[in-house]
Amino acid sequence: MKLEVKDLHKTFGDTEVLHGISFSVESGRALGLLGRNGAGKTTTIRIIMNVFKANAGTIWLDGSPFQAMGMSIGYLPEERGLYPKKKVGEQIVYLANLRGIRGGQARKNMRYWLERLGVAEYENRKLETLSKGNQQKVQLAQTLVCDPQIIILDEPFSGLDPVNSQVLKDVITEQIAQGKLVIFSSHQMGYVEEFCEDIVIINHGNIALNGNLREIKREFGKNRLVLSLVGKDAGETAGLAGQVFGELAAIEGTKKEKVILKLKEGSTKQMLLGRLAESELDVECFGSYEPSLNDIFVESAGDEA
Amino acid sequence: MKQFWTVLKFELGNYFKNKSFVLTTVLLAAILAAVIVVPTLFMGGGSDSGAEEDRTVLAVADEGGVIRDRDVFGEYLPGYELVYCKSRAEVNTMVEAEEAAAGFLVTGPDSYEYILMNRSMTTDYQAPFEEALARNYRMISLDAAGIDAEQVESIYSAPMHSETTILGKDSAQNYWYTYVLVFFLYFLIIFYGQMIAVSVTTEKSNRAIEILVTSVNSNSLIFGKVLAGAIAGIIQAGIILGSALLAYQATAEAWGHALDFLFQIPGTVWMIFIVFGILGYLLYAFLFGMMGALVSKTEDISKSSGLVTFLYLASFLISMYGLTTPDAPLIRAASYIPFTSSNAMLLRAAMGTVSALEIAVSLIILAASCVLAGMLSAAVFRFGTLHYGNPIKLTTAFKKLREK
Repeated sequence: MKLEVKDLHKTFGDTEVLHGISFSVESGRALGLLGRNGAGKTTTIRIIMNVFKANAGTIWLDGSPFQAMGMSIGYLPEERGLYPKKKVGEQIVYLANLRGIRGGQARKNMRYWLERLGVAEYENRKLETLSKGNQQKVQLAQTLVCDPQIIILDEPFSGLDPVNSQVLKDVITEQIAQGKLVIFSSHQMGYVEEFCEDIVIINHGNIALNGNLREIKREFGKNRLVLSLVGKDAGETAGLAGQVFGELAAIEGTKKEKVILKLKEGSTKQMLLGRLAESELDVECFGSYEPSLNDIFVESAGDEA
Repeated sequence: MKQFWTVLKFELGNYFKNKSFVLTTVLLAAILAAVIVVPTLFMGGGSDSGAEEDRTVLAVADEGGVIRDRDVFGEYLPGYELVYCKSRAEVNTMVEAEEAAAGFLVTGPDSYEYILMNRSMTTDYQAPFEEALARNYRMISLDAAGIDAEQVESIYSAPMHSETTILGKDSAQNYWYTYVLVFFLYFLIIFYGQMIAVSVTTEKSNRAIEILVTSVNSNSLIFGKVLAGAIAGIIQAGIILGSALLAYQATAEAWGHALDFLFQIPGTVWMIFIVFGILGYLLYAFLFGMMGALVSKTEDISKSSGLVTFLYLASFLISMYGLTTPDAPLIRAASYIPFTSSNAMLLRAAMGTVSALEIAVSLIILAASCVLAGMLSAAVFRFGTLHYGNPIKLTTAFKKLREK
């Protein structure tokens, strides 16, 4: 399965909040939708789920127009909520029924997911009597109860403690391994880095970055090197590096005690390595720079406050 | 369609699994049945013997022998038992001992003295006695004039025999049950309308709505919710009304059919009440559901649904006016307007004149309005779904819908 989002535009009142969002994702892969607060992630997800209509743009599934309704989609919205006064099991079965899973199978799936998420004992309890964390797990159970082929999770980790985050992480990994198509938005770069082969960074309603995470990292690290010297802080290292190979590389920044260098045109890593070997500098670490997703995010979306 | 049934089943479950709903239904049905049954336990035996025992005793002293014929005089006062005393003292004693409700001392053919213990606002034995004495006076006077008093009296007070044939409706007879049915519908619509609005708003306030609108077609959702509320209301009303009807059917004899004016409702009136009542109720249920979708908090519902409540109140007041003038032009017009036809057509069918064609036309208008209200309510519901925060004005919602 391949889901393609093409050139989405959305206007609320006089303000255009999405200015042409495009990306694609395939089964067995997870796409991380990243962006600062108000960037347009939730609006994009809501358009995919047909909660809102886009002013322009299309969504395709395997080359046909995509209709969220009637598809097997597990959706965990940002605005979480179920029926506080209804029993946990009853409402999950109801939502499974609405998505086309009938009687016995719905109950079986409900029990499986409550068991899998460690909240089986609450099946006959009213939702409002559960802790917030357990309510979140019930939410996740309702998302997955219809055994969806497409899973869309809007900020799934928000409000979860580390133990529950781990449970969720395991479940998502499992679903990806089963060949499900997963889209999720998050602020937790660590999780995105763990699951996602592809990322989309949205900034002010525009795509700031889109593609395979490994390639993006490689691209971001291209011509960039990292250097640290024994017993020197980043400032001292930067000063010494400038003296030794200032004409070959520019100091681009620092990260703790390390200095990030960018090769100047015509320079190579080998030339720098030669210069270092000739110098008397006591090298602690020297190599290609691999940026974290956090660095990429800040660089792509952290333009102004 | 499957989704509609799923929503309907779930929402009906919400009502029937609600303990207070079940308790209210059972309690109201039991109370109403008890109100009808319990009084019959205290009504005692047959009414004929009761009437004999209940005759009021009047003590009469006719020392001058003015009363021409005591048996005939007794017939002049059918509800009373006359006890003749020899003297004023004897009359006084009977009245004081409460053996007689009142006493009369006949002092002449055209004069008497009224003796009683206490005078109350309501009891009056004087007027019937005076009437009887006046008749006695006429008889004596006619005798004295040599005219056959019996003949004159029979001519004078010959009873007129009459039969009533009502070609239309007997409004005097139908007034009370029509009044009760109109009131019943009023409570049903106002009470359940609010409950339906609450059930729609609750899903916004607990934020379940986003999951629902991405899982279910919004038409299935709003139709399922509103119809569930309507069905629950009809079942509850049916049980309560049914218990009263059954209780009266079982005790009608004991009541001496005294409540027939409330319970003997003709089949055609029942049909009109049920069909127009259900459709009118559905129309308002959709409107209340729509108003529920415009707000996010249950405490805002009364503000938002005020317009619909006011509309129904107007319909109710028009029908109150129509209870005395069921064929007035206003009621005729109101019987075609969907917001008022459920009440107005009931009035016309029960108390006025209405043709089958008129009923059919009004029914089609009402049914079509129900479908339109349902569709409009679904559209507003879909629009209002994700607007949290301040209540949306109805005009804003319509404007936005037109823009789409």
